[in-house]
Amino acid sequence: MSSDPALSLRGLTKRYDGGLLALDGFDLEIPDGEFFGLLGPNGAGKTTLISAVCNLIRITAGEIDIFGHPHRDPEARRMLGLAEQDVNLDRFLDVEETLVYHGGYYGMSRADAVRRAGEMMDVFDLRAKAGVRAPSLSGGMRRRLLLARALMHEPRLVILDEPTAGVDFELRIELWRYIRRLHEEGTTILLTTHYLEEAEELCQDVALIRGGRLLARDSPAGLLDSFEADSLADVYVKAMATA
Amino acid sequence: MSVSGILDDRRPPAPPGWAGFVSRRRGLTSLAGREILRVLKLWTQTVAAPVMASFLFILVFGLSLSGRIRHVDGFDYREFIVPGLITMAMVQAAYTNNASSVFQARFDRYLNDVLASPMRNWEINLGLSLGGVVRALLIGAALLLLALPITHVPINQPLVLAAGVALGLTLFASLGVVIGIYAKTWDHAGFVQNILIVPLSFLGGVFYSVSTLPSPWREVSHANPIFYLVQAVRYGFLGTSDVPVGIALAITGALAALTVSWSAWLFHSGHKLKP
Repeated sequence: MSSDPALSLRGLTKRYDGGLLALDGFDLEIPDGEFFGLLGPNGAGKTTLISAVCNLIRITAGEIDIFGHPHRDPEARRMLGLAEQDVNLDRFLDVEETLVYHGGYYGMSRADAVRRAGEMMDVFDLRAKAGVRAPSLSGGMRRRLLLARALMHEPRLVILDEPTAGVDFELRIELWRYIRRLHEEGTTILLTTHYLEEAEELCQDVALIRGGRLLARDSPAGLLDSFEADSLADVYVKAMATA
Repeated sequence: MSVSGILDDRRPPAPPGWAGFVSRRRGLTSLAGREILRVLKLWTQTVAAPVMASFLFILVFGLSLSGRIRHVDGFDYREFIVPGLITMAMVQAAYTNNASSVFQARFDRYLNDVLASPMRNWEINLGLSLGGVVRALLIGAALLLLALPITHVPINQPLVLAAGVALGLTLFASLGVVIGIYAKTWDHAGFVQNILIVPLSFLGGVFYSVSTLPSPWREVSHANPIFYLVQAVRYGFLGTSDVPVGIALAITGALAALTVSWSAWLFHSGHKLKP
């Protein structure tokens, strides 16, 4: 474990060109090794926050550090893996090429990338589809490939933006198994989800956000106590009502 | 087997010197490799079709008109048109490839995988550009091989030819990346090709010597940027051009510097790439 937090946001502000203030002086620290959940309604700023961390949007103000490195540094980028909410796979590449080229983008040698891609295909049961292009995969296979791609370069912080959105129950349980295993092996995880039972089941710490601001942050048990609630769903309703 | 891999041995640091430089450029070589793989996977569309179209120009115009137009600038007409046709096919391929590849990557959002990576902005820019360059070179080489036996076009100034091709491909490969970043629909990328590049190519002296045009069309032709590129490449092949080759190379180089700066600024600032 590192002494630096896996992720540190200080005064993170994002105002889009149209004037929408998506994040408003957001502060957040996620310790190394934590399983962290980010909950909030649509438009709360979850995806904006993730995009800012992953260098996919221009931030208006504030600072982002990943394991102590400014988020735009190659060293910081190398330690970060992202599985986006939308399936954004390269339509021209097959499963194995998707993984191998991703490894290359992150600085892996061809031999290491091929070896690691083989491991990822075995772990995520994609071996039989190694030569199939992404558009020809089933929805479940695409989700698994997204997760495999995010883990391909062995990141220490993995961001999963609604990884189980729109998937059936069986695949959701399967993805939970992968994600749990990932965390047990020491990876820090930042998970956004609309499924409160998912956050309750998986996360050590949960933050509730709305309107680009942090409403509450604690362990699921701590949130139940402080909101005098019976379930995380109850906490969520109360927190959003007071926002 | 670990899912995360973080319990495995960490990758060793990059070695010093040239080997280290090469190992630090793996992102660039992978991205360029991906762009080239795309060209090769779609070879019937990306290489064979434009080669066939341009070769038909050489056959139809070169062989049919060479009976009526005996010589231009001291060369058989069939020889005279080859440099311009090769140039036209190459610059269109460099532009189209990069505009469509970058637009597709933005549209499907798999560009995010590249933008989130540790690659430097210049590496992403260069990696995305190289697919169009390789495609254009494949087309140019294939056309030359097909044209040589029937036209016997010479290569009198190979260094000038290399410089002209390099500058022209830099110009149009970068322009393709720029338009791929700005385009909001497929039509936008096609518009620049159909309304700007194709007409300017045809009017750039591909099929005729601009010096034979009456005034003011001769002067108007000098405002066409593709005219200078065609002249530079024609000088490389035939050793003759409508303007001094130094001017042709300088103007093409200046335009290439402009489009490269434009694309570099887009990647540096994130304008249009990152909301």
